[in-house]
Amino acid sequence: MEAGAGTPPRSMTARAAAGAARVERRRRSAPNGIWGMALFLCSEATIFGTLMATYFYLDFDAHRWPPAGIERPTIAWPSIATGWLVLSMIPIWLASRSARRGARRLTLGSIWVACAMQCLYLAAQILLFRHDLLHFSPKGSAYGSIYFTMLAADHAHVALGIALDAALLLFITLRGLANYWLIGVRGLAIYWYAVTVITVLVLCTQLSPSF
Amino acid sequence: MATVITPRGQRQVQRLERIWIERKGLLGWITTTDHKRIGIMYFFTSLILFGAGGAEALTIRTQLFGPNNHVVSPETYDQLFTMHGVTMIFLFVIPMTTGAFGNYLVPLMIGARDMAFPRMNAVSYWLFLGSAVFIYMGLASGHAPNAGWFDYVPLASKAYDPGNNIDFYGYGLIFNGIASTATSINIIVTIFKLRAPGMSFNRMPLFCFAFLAVSFSLLFALPSLSVACLFLELDRQLGFHFYDAAHGGDPLLWQNLFWIFGHPEVYIIILPAFGIATAIIPTFSHRKMVFFPLVALAELLVAFLGFGVWVHHMFVVGYATITTVYFAAASMIIVIPSAIQLFAWITTILTGKPQFKTPLLWIIGFIVYFMIGGLSGVTVAAIPFDQQVEDSYYIVAHFHFVIFGAAVFPILGGMYFWFPKVTGRMYHEGLGKLSFWLTFVGTFVVFFPMHILGILGMPRRVYTYPPGMGWTFINQSETVGAFLLAAGLLLIVGNLTWSYFRGAEAGNDPWEGDTLEWSTTSPPPPYNYPVIPTVTSPYAMWDKSDRELDSRRLERGEGVLQQGHETVASTVQDAEWDEIVSMPPHSLWPFLVGLAAPGGFAMLLLHHYWIAAGFLVLAGLLLIGWHHREVAA
Repeated sequence: MEAGAGTPPRSMTARAAAGAARVERRRRSAPNGIWGMALFLCSEATIFGTLMATYFYLDFDAHRWPPAGIERPTIAWPSIATGWLVLSMIPIWLASRSARRGARRLTLGSIWVACAMQCLYLAAQILLFRHDLLHFSPKGSAYGSIYFTMLAADHAHVALGIALDAALLLFITLRGLANYWLIGVRGLAIYWYAVTVITVLVLCTQLSPSF
Repeated sequence: MATVITPRGQRQVQRLERIWIERKGLLGWITTTDHKRIGIMYFFTSLILFGAGGAEALTIRTQLFGPNNHVVSPETYDQLFTMHGVTMIFLFVIPMTTGAFGNYLVPLMIGARDMAFPRMNAVSYWLFLGSAVFIYMGLASGHAPNAGWFDYVPLASKAYDPGNNIDFYGYGLIFNGIASTATSINIIVTIFKLRAPGMSFNRMPLFCFAFLAVSFSLLFALPSLSVACLFLELDRQLGFHFYDAAHGGDPLLWQNLFWIFGHPEVYIIILPAFGIATAIIPTFSHRKMVFFPLVALAELLVAFLGFGVWVHHMFVVGYATITTVYFAAASMIIVIPSAIQLFAWITTILTGKPQFKTPLLWIIGFIVYFMIGGLSGVTVAAIPFDQQVEDSYYIVAHFHFVIFGAAVFPILGGMYFWFPKVTGRMYHEGLGKLSFWLTFVGTFVVFFPMHILGILGMPRRVYTYPPGMGWTFINQSETVGAFLLAAGLLLIVGNLTWSYFRGAEAGNDPWEGDTLEWSTTSPPPPYNYPVIPTVTSPYAMWDKSDRELDSRRLERGEGVLQQGHETVASTVQDAEWDEIVSMPPHSLWPFLVGLAAPGGFAMLLLHHYWIAAGFLVLAGLLLIGWHHREVAA
């Protein structure tokens, strides 16, 4: 430790879960990685804000929305799927909490459960996406273009989140819950909270003609 | 700071030298994560691109020298003026300011040893380089973007522009946006988390406030451009209908999305200039900045208000009067924070003891041209006048005074100001002043008459014009001015090149500057500071007691951080020591990611979507790979 006033901890010397948890408790301000993730998500949220604004911009310009020949979206299945994704936030929250407490196995288990739930969600959404494609095309109208683009962007973010789950599971299993990966779990949790909120907003936008 | 006078202090420094040693040669540059080296790479890359953009401008001016000229073909002319705009905005000013100045100076000014995410910093550079090469491949292949830098649809749609030209623009700007977003995140986190102990926000240099404001603007403005370009490419490549009125789309959607990005972009370009001005003015006026807190708030306010004025670029599209009046009023309001800063700069100079060295001359030139560009900006915020001069050379005059006069002049001044710090050598003062006057006069001669040309009715973006319109003499004057301006710029390059080899030794602090970077050696060592500085005032270098304290702390080994690549992370608001974080040393991973990404975009351009997806997966795997070594997070 450095001689002199303050003597702050060297975070990276915490290579085991218990040590990382101690560093975490001493920390008075969110670490760099969390700020980085939060700002990245601000950028992504702005992208989705732009997509949703485009949807309503085109909606307000249109005489009929959805255009003639396209049915209004069904409410039940997309809502059930999104509800399932919202439920997956429980194991994500648990993973973040247990990582901060240094409970490596509980952290891993929670991420596994969350990852399984999110994979199920994504599979269901891909089926719904395919089903929609059978009925109308993104090449048929501006409605189809923004509808499928917005959903595809959202699903891509879910897929990226699953990839992050997998990477963290791999590294924590191999390396343990060091400070570096603890911050990774916290960042993952923030990512999923943001993507889930975005998904709910995308759902509301998608279903708006049906209300 | 930290003048090493005792054997014990010298031992501390030697140990740091061993820890932070950089690889030599080309491999050293390819694998570097040092913010200063990355800043230098940004500097030279964007300088070369500035040269390319300048050559395009000179060709345009040569073509317009006389009526019915045929120096280049009309199609080439379209590509040249489009590439000139794209280059100057996306490939010169943004990377030069945030990439070169921000990277090199922000960590030094806040007393940190590197950026918050050094590897991401490196990947930002390689992505920026890849995007520049990608866009310029269009020019090399004769298919450069050709629908203007704002690329309006339907002109840019497949029906009217069926080649690959627009795709170089669309994909290139999405690609470039990723690099800029990563840089902005890095700068924000660096400023939030790595400030020296004691450097609370109210003690942070105004330069850093400007870069904080720019980074937030980039973060929230770029998504709109990226989405606009994504829609454009989906329309062009896959037959979607975002901008196709016949299928429920709307061409004005492009204009809205583009200008939601495009107007904040003006402030993204000019705010770093404000930051450079606030660094140079107090130093050469030998007094503290007048209205320090108001200037800091004004910098943030300009960035914020910049998001609410975009429709003033669209006064002629037929929106309702209530809409245009709102945006005209909002555009007027932005005058207030801008005027606060102007007032503060001028008052600081007038009430100080100004020393008119070359850097201050550039800043005075900037103030003059910012006022001219600002006043013509007020005229085009008036709706009836704007409707009269829209798409004429009056607009070209306005934005060149703002973008070249007000944004590039401080960059040039900053190059002179920090040249001694970066190289350890002094530039030639006489040649510096001559280069300023040549550029100043050249700028006026090339751009001011454009106001008159615009009022006389000469439209912008025309390939040539007939004789007898009363435009010939003015165009000829402008072309002469353009070459005068180019001579001034070349003289800067010549002066700095000569000075690099032959200039006098600069020492640590040739200007008696007020910010921390002047306390370390010139050029700074890889670890920036032998001891993490402590700060108790906004003018850290003028606070001698703090710097003497740093020297004593070095003797005691306090705050030296010599157990690896380390720096201090502090609390966000008050900058109190929170933890010591490790920074990654050199790494090849960012370069590899930077190789994979252009491959993906090139495959998209060639319609090989599965191969493009393969490159994306490869980039993802590389990102996972670079975490094999755990460092700061």
